[in-house]
Amino acid sequence: MSAPDAAAAPAGERLRAIRERIEQVDREIIGLIGERVHLAREVGAVKRTLGMPTLDPAREAAVVRRAGELAREAGVGDEDVRYIFWHLIGLSRRAQLEGE
Amino acid sequence: MIIITRPHVSDAELDQIREHIETLGLRTHLSRGEARTIIGCIGDEALLQEAALLSLSGVESITPVMKPYKLAWREFAAGPTVVKVGDRKATSIGGRALAVIAGPCSVEGRDMLRQTAAAVRGAGAGLLRGGAFKPRSSPYAFQGLGEAGLRMLAEVRAETGLPIVTEVMDTRQVELVAEHADVLQVGARNMQNFSLLSELGRVQRPVLLKRGLSATIQELLMAAEYIMSHGNHDVILCERGIRTFETATRNTLDVAAIPVLKAETHLPVLVDPSHAGGRASLVAPLSFAAIAAGADGLMVEIHPDPQRALSDGDQSLTLDAFAAFMRALRPFAHAAGRELAEPPAGLREAA
Repeated sequence: MSAPDAAAAPAGERLRAIRERIEQVDREIIGLIGERVHLAREVGAVKRTLGMPTLDPAREAAVVRRAGELAREAGVGDEDVRYIFWHLIGLSRRAQLEGE
Repeated sequence: MIIITRPHVSDAELDQIREHIETLGLRTHLSRGEARTIIGCIGDEALLQEAALLSLSGVESITPVMKPYKLAWREFAAGPTVVKVGDRKATSIGGRALAVIAGPCSVEGRDMLRQTAAAVRGAGAGLLRGGAFKPRSSPYAFQGLGEAGLRMLAEVRAETGLPIVTEVMDTRQVELVAEHADVLQVGARNMQNFSLLSELGRVQRPVLLKRGLSATIQELLMAAEYIMSHGNHDVILCERGIRTFETATRNTLDVAAIPVLKAETHLPVLVDPSHAGGRASLVAPLSFAAIAAGADGLMVEIHPDPQRALSDGDQSLTLDAFAAFMRALRPFAHAAGRELAEPPAGLREAA
């Protein structure tokens, strides 16, 4: 095996390992999204029992703000994270409204 | 409505202003510039009337948006948008440097594409165009190589490093084309295909939006707004000639649209002199006029053998003519205060 090949083999191995880990992280993220949607559905039912309005824009704004702050602390683009969270909130909002 | 913040506004102040607005059910968009940061408010602005925004820490002034387009409006961004293209974001569209996109109307085969790409690079142009899916006026005309054409474009990008611009015609193709291309082009005939625009708003790829044959400037900006409102802010506009009573040219290049667009929007504005004039001999004069009027770049059709081109041969420059065109463009670029990249060292002979 020539020298570049010898260097490429461990790098290729590492790439495969990182990709496997990324797939695992993706699965965890999707699992957590599922959990969040499930919780939102429960919150919707509880709010209805309490006679509270289902939608709460102030709470949504606070959630997005916190997500942006946490993203900055983690050194991740806060605008991108805010964008993702507005989409997550959209999912949760639809779940909360189920049963109305 | 846009909120202009004080200089050196803190992240915490920005967070507080945005939360205040979002609590009312609107969304915000942040644009950071060197001199100022702007928060754009998207949604029912009537809800903001009682919001006492001026009393919030960090707010300097507020301006209502009097245009039907908001995200595309010039005042919505802190400065002109520079779209970064390619894997390493090494190519810019919208900065001081002119962006020149060149290539064949249609990808006709691997060899012709390689040959063309070498000429594009050798002349100092920054991006390679080539149609894989072609919208043709006649259903009997060459419709493009489709996915095989996309693969050829991707191969040539890997060989040359040139980012790829190619058209997407249909919502069903968006994912496939985004996999291979760096910039997704919306053709003139699709400018108001709102389901396609919405879909393109959801991908993380810059979109080159060509003005429709009979579209007003406002309609073009509203089409851009469609893409941006779905989350993709990397939109590049392209004036490509409009339909008028004149038959001596294929279309009429609307030169006035360039300064009007530059005044109305922060998005980059390119010009396609090939479709505007419809003849190779008009490409250079229309390009010079476009650069003088403030265009951020050009999209030019070139072909190794225009007479045998499967589409738009009349308006394509030969590869030699393109190299000469780029040399002739240089003094115009400098006169307009713009930069034009030199051909890469070692390739200058070829150019």
